[in-house]
Amino acid sequence: MRFALSEDQALLQHSTREFFAAEFPMERNRQVLEADGPGFDPAAWARLAEMGYVGVTVPAARGGQGLGAVELAVVLEEMGRHGVPGPLFDAMLAATLLAAAPGHEALLADLLNGRRLVTIARDEALYAGPAAVDTTFADGRVRGTKHYVPFGGSADALLVTTTDRIVIAHGPFAVTALPTFDPGERFASVIVDGGAEPLGPLTLLEPIDRLAAVGAGALLLGIMAKLLETTVAYTRTRQAFGKPIATFQALQHRMADMLARTESTRAAVYRAAWCIDTGDPDGALACAAAKAWAGDAARLVCGEAIQMHGGIGFTWELDVHFYLKRAKTLEQHYGATGAQLERALAATGY
Amino acid sequence: MDLRLSPVHLAFRDELRAWLGANLRRPWRDELRDPGHSEDSLMQLRRGWQRKLHHAGYLGLDWPREWGGRGATAVEKAIFDAEMAEADAPQIPNTLGIGLLGPALIHHGSEEQRRRFIPSMLAADEIWCQGFSEPGAGSDLASLKTSAVLDGDHFVLNGQKVWTTFGPWADWIFVLARTDPKDRYGGISFLLCKLDTPGVTVRPLRQLTGESEFGEVFFEDVRVPRANLVGHVGEGWRIAMTVLAYERGAVGLAMANRYGRDLRELAAACRDLGRTDTASREKLARLVVENDVLRAAGVRMLATLAEGRVPGAESSLEKIMWSEFDKRFRETALDLLGPGGQLLRSAPGARSEVDWAREYLWSRAGTIYSGSSEIQRNIIAKRVLELPQDGR
Repeated sequence: MRFALSEDQALLQHSTREFFAAEFPMERNRQVLEADGPGFDPAAWARLAEMGYVGVTVPAARGGQGLGAVELAVVLEEMGRHGVPGPLFDAMLAATLLAAAPGHEALLADLLNGRRLVTIARDEALYAGPAAVDTTFADGRVRGTKHYVPFGGSADALLVTTTDRIVIAHGPFAVTALPTFDPGERFASVIVDGGAEPLGPLTLLEPIDRLAAVGAGALLLGIMAKLLETTVAYTRTRQAFGKPIATFQALQHRMADMLARTESTRAAVYRAAWCIDTGDPDGALACAAAKAWAGDAARLVCGEAIQMHGGIGFTWELDVHFYLKRAKTLEQHYGATGAQLERALAATGY
Repeated sequence: MDLRLSPVHLAFRDELRAWLGANLRRPWRDELRDPGHSEDSLMQLRRGWQRKLHHAGYLGLDWPREWGGRGATAVEKAIFDAEMAEADAPQIPNTLGIGLLGPALIHHGSEEQRRRFIPSMLAADEIWCQGFSEPGAGSDLASLKTSAVLDGDHFVLNGQKVWTTFGPWADWIFVLARTDPKDRYGGISFLLCKLDTPGVTVRPLRQLTGESEFGEVFFEDVRVPRANLVGHVGEGWRIAMTVLAYERGAVGLAMANRYGRDLRELAAACRDLGRTDTASREKLARLVVENDVLRAAGVRMLATLAEGRVPGAESSLEKIMWSEFDKRFRETALDLLGPGGQLLRSAPGARSEVDWAREYLWSRAGTIYSGSSEIQRNIIAKRVLELPQDGR
């Protein structure tokens, strides 16, 4: 029994950390985040793809790395920690979905090597509420409107959910940007109306949903770990009443709670990832619990990070707000908390 | 990562399950709701259960073989706790004797002390209570004032201890007493005192649950033979701190099993009572989620032990997690059950699957005993986050 990463996993963690630290320093990330553009630097995206990150969970026979959810979590935790902007997570999910069905080799290869961007288009509701899928597929044509399509403005193809299956739609699409307060995610509303090819049944999404829950949980974990570090470092240097504010017990206890939330999230996310990789029957509950918990935990950690930075915490200048905004997106997408709670009840049969 | 139990551990778990199937007459909750029981008869039942476990070789599991143990690993000990929780087995009366005093004697006691005290402790022939806390020394344990003054070949004890678990049933108490008023930590010694020694008064302490599982112990010129000093004079604090580490096993998994059982009952009760509205469902789901996260943390802790690492401040995180969750869980259970959740066992119509009223009240204790949540946060702040300390 071992919770610690295997040697290979630890190596992946180390190399990913080094790579992100070198290629995605926060000063550079901020330029991308603050610009109106696609939400990522195409050159940096090409390097990410070249490193094989898009295909972490894609079987080796399909051109991916053939690794599991644990490795996906390792990469995404680092992505969250370093505030790496761009569509990596969305592309990973799309690649995994694409690889779940036979065929479509050219598109999958292009997605894996960064020549074409593919994401998944699912949502049809702008606000919370009944999100029935009305998009249809008939006679080789897909018709419908999708909201919150990740990086929809840059996508060359979309994996579109319809009333009875998943189809591959090729761009260009009629796209309207859907800016939110999180510049780390570039959503768009996309009208799909054109030729498409079937990918497979909607049930292909079940494992993707679990992978998305774990992946979003891992991103949130990275964000929390980073903000806790930042907050501890800041309170150690910030002086008030003649001493570092980190000496105040009122703050110490709250930082202890930040750690408690972060570490419990770590346990939940990696256990859930492990359950996916081993087909453990506890997986359905573990994935739902990890995502629901991570979303809540991040609320506390991000909120406390801003509060303990005081006035500077409310400024644009400090990086913390980018993490807060990212965390809110991750909480409300990839299976929002409410959906995960329902899955948790379904998994237990309660 | 590999979160599977090893074949050896799986075999141990299966053996334990088989043994429980053959030896546990009925779950503890059923004993509790049996109107034929009194506090005394429940205590007798616990004694009997401890003897059964002892005869089967399940007590002092992780102690060296010569002291009745199996030389088992911390992982097996945690599996044992988790299985006992899952089966809802009675708690043994000598929890603290076996949990704290046993290790203290094994590591710091004399050969004579080990021979004299360990067998009777394991067999539940002598029940031990813990004399650490005082009315004026709880979280700040080192401020304890109970004094032990050497007089010939005896220590003379004066003072008061409180929160002595099972005090009213105990035969012996292990006491932290001050042998040097000027040395905060080095002036504390570890003594063993028989409770029928002249000058000892034990009074049951009624808890807010209405029960008296705890007691107060008063010492008035009590003469304790010098032979009952564990370790050397002034070593008490060090001994206490090392053995307290034994109390911190991987309890998360055992707790998740226990809460998981009660959650199943709560879900069934919600169905019975028609509490299937969205708000109720969300409350239930949040409990399910948090308990599963507690389970994940417990699995992680078990793996930490299996990797051969000694959990340090991680146990503080685990303690905060289960004890704070227990409070939220029981509070939410009362929300879901409505006023009926407050009914005493004896009330007509009281639900019998779990004593929800009692569990609610009991959950108030977990964040106080064995190091309050505040102390755990201090430990995390200091040892994990390494935050600067301000004269504390």
